[in-house]
Amino acid sequence: MKYQSKATAVRWLMPVLLPAVFLAHPAFAQVRAKADVTCRQAGGPLEYDCIVKLINARSSEPLSGVSLTIGADMPSMPGVHHLRPAVAIEDQERGTYRAKLVLDMHGDWALQLNLSGPLRDRIVKVLRFEGGEVGEVKAGQGRKAHGH
Amino acid sequence: MDEYLVGVLSNVGVISFVALSAYLLLLTGEITFGQQAFFAIGAYAAGIATAMWGWTLAAGLGFGALAGALSATIVGVPTLRLHGLYFAIATLAFAEMVRILFEMFRYQIEIDGEWVGPNGADGFRDIRYIFENDISGMEFMLIIYGLLTVILAGFMLLERSRLGVIFRMIGEDEVLAGLQGVSVARYRILAAAIAGALAGIGGGLYAHLTTYIEPRIFDVMLGVHSLAYGLIGGLGTALGPILGVLIDIGLLESIRALSGYRMIIFGGLVALLLIVRPRGLLDERLVHRIGVALRGGRKMRV
Repeated sequence: MKYQSKATAVRWLMPVLLPAVFLAHPAFAQVRAKADVTCRQAGGPLEYDCIVKLINARSSEPLSGVSLTIGADMPSMPGVHHLRPAVAIEDQERGTYRAKLVLDMHGDWALQLNLSGPLRDRIVKVLRFEGGEVGEVKAGQGRKAHGH
Repeated sequence: MDEYLVGVLSNVGVISFVALSAYLLLLTGEITFGQQAFFAIGAYAAGIATAMWGWTLAAGLGFGALAGALSATIVGVPTLRLHGLYFAIATLAFAEMVRILFEMFRYQIEIDGEWVGPNGADGFRDIRYIFENDISGMEFMLIIYGLLTVILAGFMLLERSRLGVIFRMIGEDEVLAGLQGVSVARYRILAAAIAGALAGIGGGLYAHLTTYIEPRIFDVMLGVHSLAYGLIGGLGTALGPILGVLIDIGLLESIRALSGYRMIIFGGLVALLLIVRPRGLLDERLVHRIGVALRGGRKMRV
C-alpha cells in the first residue's frame, strides 16, 4: 500500500519533471546586443533618468525598434531588492532609449536591460548610485553594499 | 502574467532551494550560516557548464548539484565534531572563504568575439542560456517550480521514511540516536551532502535566471536569510521555509512604499515570531493538528 502511494506520487510528478529536465537544448550562437547606460539624478533623491544606447554587438549598428524594460536588483541582497521593470521609450536618435528609475536606496544596483521584439536578450550593467553621482562599477573598485 | 510578478515568483522559487537546504540541516539540529557557499558553487558550476562548455541546462544544473554536494561533504567531514555556535561559525568561515576565492577566480574563454566566464570581483556575466535557447521568463519560472515540486515531494517522502525519522532523531538528541544504533556521523554527512546539492541546484537556477552572478551576491546576508526562512515559516514541514521565503520576499515586495525601512520591519517581525512561535508558524504541533484534521476529514467522507 505504501509502495503504491509512492508509485502514484512519482506518476503524478513525471509531467512536471520531464519538461523541467528536457526543456534543454545545447546553446547556439545568436545576435547579441551591447549597451551603454548613463543615469543622472532627476527630481527626488532616488529618482534617476537613464539613457541607454543599444548597438548590435557584431555590426555595431544602433538597435532600433526594440522593446526595452529596465529592472534592477541589489547584488548584496539577491531577490529582495527587486525593482519593477521600467519601460524605456525610444528617442529620436536611433538606438537611444530613455527610462526613469525610482530606486529603494543608494548603493550598487545591477540594472537588467531586458530586450524583446526583433531581438531577445538581457544585458546587465552594475552601476553605483550615490546621490547625484552615478558611475559604472569596474573590476577592482571597492564594492558597496546596500545602505540600510 | 506581468513580467514583474514572474520575476518576483521566480526569485521566491530560487531562494526556496537555499531555504530548504538550511531547513534540512536544522532538522538534524545544526544551525548553519554557510549554505550560501554551496549556492555560489552551484551557480558558478552550472554557469560555467552551460555558458562556457555548451552543456544543456539539465546537465548544468546536475553539475551544480554535484559540485554543491561534493563541497558540502568535504566541509561536513572536518566539522563533524562541532555543534551549535562552533558549527555555525565554522560554516560562516567556510562561506566567506568561498566568497573570497570567487573574488580571485578568473577563468574566461572567447566565444563569438566576447570573453565569457568568471572574472574575479567583476563577476560572471553572459550566462545567456535561456536567451540563446528562447526560453521565456514564464517557461523558466515553470522549470523552477517544476523542480521545486519534485524536491518538495522528496521532502514529503523523506518525512514518512526511516531516513527522515533518523534525521529528526539526531536533531532532537544525537547521543540518544547513537544509543539507538544510528550512525550519527554518517547521517550528518548525508544530510550535509543533500543540503549542499539542494543549494547547488538553487544556485544554478539563480545564475540562469539573472544571467549574472558575482561573489558579493553570496555573502552572509543570504546565509542569515536562508536560515531565518525555516525559523519563520516553521520546522514542522518542508513547506515552512517556503512560507518563510514568501513572507520575506512577498511581504517586502508588497510594502515597497516604506522603501528603506522594510528591512527594519522585517527584522522586527522575525524577532516577534521567534518569541511567539519559537519553532516557526508551521511548527510540528500545528502540522500534526492539520494532519489529524485532514485524516478525520477523509474518514468523514468515507
